Amino acid sequence: MTTSATIRAALRGSNALPLRSPDLVMNLERLGSMHQSRLSFMRILVRRIMRERWQISASLVDLDHEGYGTFVYRIKASHGVFSFVIFSNYLSSDERNDRVIATKWDLTMALVEGEVDSVYLERLRQNVPKQEAGRVDSRVFVLSRANRSARNFDYVVDQLASGKQPDIEKITDIGYLYRTTAVYGSGKLGMADWEKVKHNWPDFERPFSAEMFVCFMIRNFSLFQAEHIAQHKSATTFTPMDVNIKRYFGIGNSTGLGMAPYLVNHPVLINQWITMRELGLARVRTLGYIDHRVQRHFEELLSRCIQHTQETKTEDEWQTQNNLQVVKELSALQSSEHQQVSSWDSLMSWSEAHCSLQTQELLVSILLELYPELVDDLEDHHCEEEFLDLDPVMPVQTLKEVIEQSYRWALDIDFTKEGAKETFWYRSEDKMEPRLGNAEKEQGKSKQMALGVGYAVRKCYDQLCAYVAENPEHTTARFMVAAPKLRGIVRRIQSMNRCMYGDIQGNLLDRNVLPMHLLRAKLAFFGVSKFDPRSKLWVRNTMYQGAPLLEDIGGTFNDDWFMPLAPKQ
Amino acid sequence: MHISMNELKSALQRCFQASEYFVGNYEDASNMVLWLEKHGLDGLQELLNALPYIKIDSDKPLSTVIYEDKTSAVINSHGRSALNCIAAAVDLAHAKALETGIATITVHNCHNRKFILKALTDCGRRGISVVAYWKNQGSSVTEHTAAIKANARYPSYSQALTNLHTDGDDLQSLTIVCSSRVDLTSSLQNSYGNRKAYHISARQVEENKTQSVNQGIDITEALWEDINRIGAGILVENSLLSSLGAG
Repeated sequence: MTTSATIRAALRGSNALPLRSPDLVMNLERLGSMHQSRLSFMRILVRRIMRERWQISASLVDLDHEGYGTFVYRIKASHGVFSFVIFSNYLSSDERNDRVIATKWDLTMALVEGEVDSVYLERLRQNVPKQEAGRVDSRVFVLSRANRSARNFDYVVDQLASGKQPDIEKITDIGYLYRTTAVYGSGKLGMADWEKVKHNWPDFERPFSAEMFVCFMIRNFSLFQAEHIAQHKSATTFTPMDVNIKRYFGIGNSTGLGMAPYLVNHPVLINQWITMRELGLARVRTLGYIDHRVQRHFEELLSRCIQHTQETKTEDEWQTQNNLQVVKELSALQSSEHQQVSSWDSLMSWSEAHCSLQTQELLVSILLELYPELVDDLEDHHCEEEFLDLDPVMPVQTLKEVIEQSYRWALDIDFTKEGAKETFWYRSEDKMEPRLGNAEKEQGKSKQMALGVGYAVRKCYDQLCAYVAENPEHTTARFMVAAPKLRGIVRRIQSMNRCMYGDIQGNLLDRNVLPMHLLRAKLAFFGVSKFDPRSKLWVRNTMYQGAPLLEDIGGTFNDDWFMPLAPKQ
Repeated sequence: MHISMNELKSALQRCFQASEYFVGNYEDASNMVLWLEKHGLDGLQELLNALPYIKIDSDKPLSTVIYEDKTSAVINSHGRSALNCIAAAVDLAHAKALETGIATITVHNCHNRKFILKALTDCGRRGISVVAYWKNQGSSVTEHTAAIKANARYPSYSQALTNLHTDGDDLQSLTIVCSSRVDLTSSLQNSYGNRKAYHISARQVEENKTQSVNQGIDITEALWEDINRIGAGILVENSLLSSLGAG
């Protein structure tokens, strides 16, 4: 059993495992090369649902023949009963907009504690479809909305209505019927705070598990709705969707800049997530025994990842080239002597010298996949109390040394270089949406969000050096009285010094910063696949492709939906 | 109206950032308000008292240490709100206590001192015991004390109306005693002249928190609008150019 004490012992001291260095792992582009793994939140949630055999059934079906109306699922989990309430409304194609600033959606949903009666349902109906313009109470803990995939939904309905299955090639291009455009939790719009979710509803006590559950349920509803409409369209010719094709449908997701500040503003939590992943990798590299069964599994996963990547369609040239590179490198590995691996440690060292970042990180996910017994119990350690505490007694000289050691990456950035501070991150007055501005062309830099950690460290270091020269015997607390403007960054530096990972090593103020790396890092932790950058500012992806369906719950489960492949037609 | 704790915290951060609080200070300030309210200690009422003045603090000098030795220091906060200066004073007490076992810090010219409770709580959580004592002038003088034991998560708090007369100088002062060796507790004496004294135990503070976590927070629409109106100062106007930077 893994406890906090065993984790601490594995991270530092004489019994520590050989973890990858923060300079390697926290590089922005590498973070933007991560893939889903068995420690991703969707995988963890599905394991829980399947192992605990949650009972999920429709408690209200009030849909017309076109699939519009109200639908409520009742969820009986291990510790409580919950309701997932869906409002399905007509939306014309010209009103359909995935941006945060949209005001209407095809589906709007709420995850609610307990069962809902007609009075409460009416209250939800008055507010949930309005999303940001509505208010809910603290029985609700996730709000979301989704838009139809214009290309796929009508096609799938027509196929089923005419007694045919959807063409696999077509759904390989777009593996979903709906795209979620926002999934809100953590107390937004009057909902229950995370603190309440964590303490009162143990079924959802892990980070983002309620939000991930909502996406799982939207996917299942989308499949139900498509069949429902097709059946009413032509009851005589209708055929239900083949269950293997059904499993291959996921739920689409559009993620924009809203997710990016989270990674910078929650370094303690991000440290915890990354530490668990790196600890899993270190266990595999050190303890992962290789026999014929493991070797065969590795070969099978290599083949699967190659095919999955080949089946990933994106119009983005940069991502296309990366995918081609991954396929090329994994294929080379497949046919080379390295396939007969003597140790995972040597394979990882080889990949760091010879493979692209996306291939290296895919190999990390593959290795984690091979050893559930070494990896899965780390899923219990993704939560962490987020205190950024000042160490008041630390001598200023020590503080200076900490910066020189842990933030060398920041000190190495030349902030006097043209373009090094050209980007600023801010909140727009339009729904307080996070946006990126160019300081040379746009107003608003004075209102920027404090996301330029590297630059803040540089300024802190320069002032600290002058202070240390005059007051070498002072403590950090004394320095903070003299320099209160630096309180935030000093507290962060000291807190991160107590962590293995945490701060993203990149200049987020640079003219050429690519926020999509931040988005991908967080989405990989969620467990999405099929990354499809639509610009440097937003990414489309697919969730839950290959995951069990509602009707699979209670049956056998092999937890093997990593990098799903298109079914054979 | 009813809001979540997270909504209050986010709105307060925008409000304090728009009031030119520094990075680090605006998180502290929003946490101080939220902590008091969440634990049933009238954080929003304290904020209401502070709100008319929060923008003028940026024109005041930064706190200065006017006396210091190994076990004590005197800080002049130059009329600042505790929201943007008291955490640093508690940190100094914390550092001195770690070095010498026990330390005393006196802060002069500081407003809204009840907000110190969040900073005390942070010390307790980190194994340091702290006591704070201060007086306030309303229609009459009130006195206040709060304390937390080492490794505790919740402090106690006491308040009483008094018939004390003061010269005014000590009305904006605050005394902090901090120890890494001694567990400090405090309550106001039931002395002559004290009226309407009340004491909230650490246990009661914890129970208040449970209520807030389960139910969220009630706030008047007027105060909520004020917080958001001030916070709107950090939002950037929408334009064609700015929409190109949206994800």
